Amino acid sequence: MADNAALIAATERTRYPLRRYAALWRELFGLAWRRMPREVVIYFAANVLVLAVVAGTALALRWTVDATIHGRAGSAVLGAVVAALAYAVNVVLLDMVLFPVPLIEQPGMLDLHPRTLSDLAAMETLDHLERSDVLDRVTIVRNSAWLIMAGFWASIGVVFAVAQLVVTLVLLGTVSPWLLFLLVFAAVPLWCDRRGSAAVSKAELDTAETFRLQRHLFELSTKPAAAKEIRVAGSGPEIVRLQNQAWQETMNGRVRALAVGAAWKFAGWLVFSIGFVGGLALVVERAAHGTGSVGDLVLAVTVAANLRNTLHGVVVRATGVAQVRRYIEPLFWMRDHLAEDRARRAGTRPAPQVLSDGITFDGVDYAYPGTGRLALDGVSVHLPAGSVVAVVGEYGSGKTTLVKLLAKFYRPDAGRVTVDGTDLGELETRAWRSRISAAFQDFGRFATTFAENVGLGDLAHLDDGERVAAAVREADADRVLRRLPQGYDTLLGRDIGGLELSEGQWQKVALARASMRSEPLLFVLDEPTASLDAPSEQEIFQRHMARAREVGARTGAITVIVSHRFSTVTGADRILVLDKGKLVESGPHDELMALGGRYADLYGIQAAAYSATAP
Amino acid sequence: MPVLARRVRLLRALGAARPLLTAALCAVFLLNALIPAASAVTTAILVSRISGHAHSGLLGSAVLPLLLFGAVMVAGHAAEAASTPLDVLARARIDGAHRAELARLASADPTIDRLERPRVQQLIRIARADPQNWTEHTPGEGALGQLHWTAGLIGAAASCAVLARYAWWLVPLLLIPAALNRYFGNRIGGRFSDAWRAGIPYGMHGTAWEEALTSTAEGKDIRLFGIEEWSVAKIQRHIREMLEPVWELGSRGRRANLRRFLLIAGPLVLAYAAVADGTVHGHATVAVETAVLASGWSLYQAFGSSEDMHRMTAALESLDAFDQVAAVLRSAPDHPADDPADDPADDPADKPADNSAGTPPGPDSRTHAPASSPDAVPLVRFEDVCFAYPGTTRQVTDHLDLEIRPHELLAVVGLNGAGKSTMIKLLAGLYTPTAGRITADGVDIRELGPPAWRDRMSVVFQDFVRYHLTVAQNVALGHGSVPLDRAALSAAADDAGLGDVLDRLPDGWETPLSRTRTGGADLSGGQWQQVVLARALYAVRTGARLLVLDEPTAHLDVRTEFEVFNRLAARRGETSVVLISHRLSTVRQADRIVLLENGRIAESGSHDELIAAGGAYAEMFAIQAERFQHGYDDRADFDDEYDGAEYHDLTGEAAAHG
Repeated sequence: MADNAALIAATERTRYPLRRYAALWRELFGLAWRRMPREVVIYFAANVLVLAVVAGTALALRWTVDATIHGRAGSAVLGAVVAALAYAVNVVLLDMVLFPVPLIEQPGMLDLHPRTLSDLAAMETLDHLERSDVLDRVTIVRNSAWLIMAGFWASIGVVFAVAQLVVTLVLLGTVSPWLLFLLVFAAVPLWCDRRGSAAVSKAELDTAETFRLQRHLFELSTKPAAAKEIRVAGSGPEIVRLQNQAWQETMNGRVRALAVGAAWKFAGWLVFSIGFVGGLALVVERAAHGTGSVGDLVLAVTVAANLRNTLHGVVVRATGVAQVRRYIEPLFWMRDHLAEDRARRAGTRPAPQVLSDGITFDGVDYAYPGTGRLALDGVSVHLPAGSVVAVVGEYGSGKTTLVKLLAKFYRPDAGRVTVDGTDLGELETRAWRSRISAAFQDFGRFATTFAENVGLGDLAHLDDGERVAAAVREADADRVLRRLPQGYDTLLGRDIGGLELSEGQWQKVALARASMRSEPLLFVLDEPTASLDAPSEQEIFQRHMARAREVGARTGAITVIVSHRFSTVTGADRILVLDKGKLVESGPHDELMALGGRYADLYGIQAAAYSATAP
Repeated sequence: MPVLARRVRLLRALGAARPLLTAALCAVFLLNALIPAASAVTTAILVSRISGHAHSGLLGSAVLPLLLFGAVMVAGHAAEAASTPLDVLARARIDGAHRAELARLASADPTIDRLERPRVQQLIRIARADPQNWTEHTPGEGALGQLHWTAGLIGAAASCAVLARYAWWLVPLLLIPAALNRYFGNRIGGRFSDAWRAGIPYGMHGTAWEEALTSTAEGKDIRLFGIEEWSVAKIQRHIREMLEPVWELGSRGRRANLRRFLLIAGPLVLAYAAVADGTVHGHATVAVETAVLASGWSLYQAFGSSEDMHRMTAALESLDAFDQVAAVLRSAPDHPADDPADDPADDPADKPADNSAGTPPGPDSRTHAPASSPDAVPLVRFEDVCFAYPGTTRQVTDHLDLEIRPHELLAVVGLNGAGKSTMIKLLAGLYTPTAGRITADGVDIRELGPPAWRDRMSVVFQDFVRYHLTVAQNVALGHGSVPLDRAALSAAADDAGLGDVLDRLPDGWETPLSRTRTGGADLSGGQWQQVVLARALYAVRTGARLLVLDEPTAHLDVRTEFEVFNRLAARRGETSVVLISHRLSTVRQADRIVLLENGRIAESGSHDELIAAGGAYAEMFAIQAERFQHGYDDRADFDDEYDGAEYHDLTGEAAAHG
């Protein structure tokens, strides 16, 4: 959560009108009410009861003392019994009133949380997840359901805490109307406490960065991955020193702010105490004149003891509500952002059954948000139905961007991509994607079993053992499978305490996943063999070429293979050579070699390394 | 009494808070604890003044008690206000010292095999005093919880003294149920905490999928394969698995609430009724009655909250884990030697090393053997080196003999699992050979002592460290044991071609390399590679005489790889270079190539010699060349990854799941 706090500090704030909050509050109340109406009623009843009980305790004590002085045994005992019962009720109910955990957790985690996640999952394109302004807010929102729900109940708690403050002061007013002036004195600590809390919150945010740094350095010095390098470089003592320094800096900042906060707090209470002792003097004075009783004094003292808790309750909850705005603002921002995005989606047409003509890029430009540099620059090319197309180029030449556009992960900034003449933008995204399969360079590593990691490549056949086994064989992943202690049911991923695979093993899992869908119209292999060993690479490559041609002949399916190694793709029907986002050459291997251009040039460099003489 | 020993263990942690602060905290906690009794007494004094006096002149005689009451009130507020900053300061000191000590301990162990053990990592996670959820607490929180709890008992004693003013039997009547109430409360708190902890693994599953939804890698597959809603449902299932047992416990808590009510209401009703009745019948004054009424219930608060107890318990877990980590890291390595008699590879701290000089150096010994001058480029020799990971029998290096000659550019090739990475870790003294020895100019590197030996070498690991520090620090930490050398820094930057990267950074050398830092920047993979290269070359500039690169260019394209290789070759005047690579097209340019197979050197020679010999290397090269001609890969990567770290995962995690 501390990391989240740093993120929040760094995130630009947006103000929203009060009615947005009112609408959200209605939504949250609705969630709680639908999920657990009985508990909601109990919560409100308990709050009212606590109000009554706090007042009742003080009144009962006055009653007891006065009755004792007047020698009324029955009354005195009755008052004492009521006071004892009221106190017991207060203790039992207080936890629920201060912190209604079930009311926060159940609607928060079972309703608000999945609602937010569904919203996030509904982002069709990837550009959202690549923009830091979106991603920061996504991260905050993803972790905030519980906090927002807690903030909602805290805001209701504030209302009751204020009510309790009023009730206690009115009680004092029953002793003497003059004591109502204590309200003014009570406002002083309230105001001072808020000032102090603000200073502390600010310090927390200000020191979040150094706190995170010390945590990072601590992890480095205790984790085996970094341990090798740190030892060899002899940097251990320096890292420990920097860690300790960052810790001290963080804590000094926080303690200083806390000291300031404490000074404010004490100052506020000092003023109140003076006022209160003055008030007590008034009570004594009234007793001296026979208009007040000893019971009044007891009541006043009891109320004073409670007052600090009551006021503190108001401040803590009000601060909590103020802070929760920092989680709600990103939520509003996300919701607006997604609504805008949804409005821009136009795709309604179904995906084609077969490809007859192919896919065409027509003057396509694309720039990653915030970069200002064109990742694809005026690309126009036709990928014929049934062909195997290779995309080559150096790092950052736009290869991956091109295939991601095919999967509708981005929308072209200019130009268009058409499938058999239909603009990709007009196709319904999910329908089109259901006809694609792909293994990307940065494939997913899912925290679940091996079987699900593969099977989720075709949800309809997730539990179809035969299909999964076939996909595993096709991707040559049986060797990975044989090594797993629980076979298909082995949990994968270190984060969840599962088995961590090597890069190459994960890659095979991703390839198996991509092999789940039986007849995709578009099959993308984005650097499929970067971490694979040679025999399986060779096998996979040949198998895919063969399958691509066979399926391609029937359905017109297109296979796109991306590689930065020019040598791997000589067998493709068509090779697209990208350079800094521009399509510089395209054609079959022999044609491009004959051309003697960039392709021939780069191919030459790699070939020379294996020639008989040294380069 | 073990319970008492545990309490003392917690209070001992207060030492790091230093005496003055501890004294201040004791005073504040004590003051806080005594306030209920004190205000009961001052109220009683006021009452006695009012009820005992004639009406006239009452106010005058009440001035002193009023002031007394006010003083108690102000003191209470002062103690309350002061307790927060003092508490945080003490925790910061205790936990800061604890964390620094743990970091020092973990990074001071010269070898890494112990640190790599899953059990040790698990203990460090518990000991690190960085709570990840509400069930975890730091030693500082525990120590202060203990102090707070103890102060509470003193407060309880004071309240009891007030009660006893009426009658002694009031004390057991209220004290016993109050203690019972706290006991039950702690038990329920403990159950909640246990139930919640039991759900953490499910929570981790859920979190992993939540992250997947918003990451670009998993997010892409989730969207492509249309499993968005399926993923959300899966997360829901994991959340329910995690929290439902806790909710279940909560809904069963109503009975506990009733018990709590009875434990408080029963004795309190009896006591209050008896006191009221007794006072009316003249057994006590109204003042005493007031005092009893005011302090009776404070007894129920005096035993602290279940939070105090929970903090103490959780903090002790952290402290215990720390003690265990310390015991493991300070112990001798427990390599299962086949035959201890001819095993010179035990921890040199434990017994005299088997070496010609015969000196028994400790792991931190900086003894320089005369034969090896630290400034010279050393002749390094693996002599009959064997190594097996603890608890396994497979020899990762098997009677390995190898020479790294001064100023040589040596390439090491071999299939994955051949033992290349392990060999590097042995060379750096990160593992101790189970048999045989590694020498520099004839002196066992263990005799030189790890710090002195490592001062003379630099290793670029594949998973190099990305410090969230400035560029300058990122480079200079390549040789952290020498003071920062600005001249060497800029020279290394030139050597590594880092200039372009520096020019593009907002603050040049002073830019932190993490977006999470103010003014920080994220580098691309290729830019990082250049920073790391500069890091290694900085080490060379400041005295490293052996440079080891473990697949430094695996993720670079061909053109960049050539450039890097040439930059390294240019530094050969100052250092020997050992290069591990899969790309034989790069390897062929080395002075000498050794082929590692099954933990031994199978072939050694120049590219031309090895090709002429027609052995395994020639075959690998032919395969790669042919594959290249036919359009396949350019790396010799025949087998799945199976090296040290991987091995630990396989065994450790498999055992955890088996």
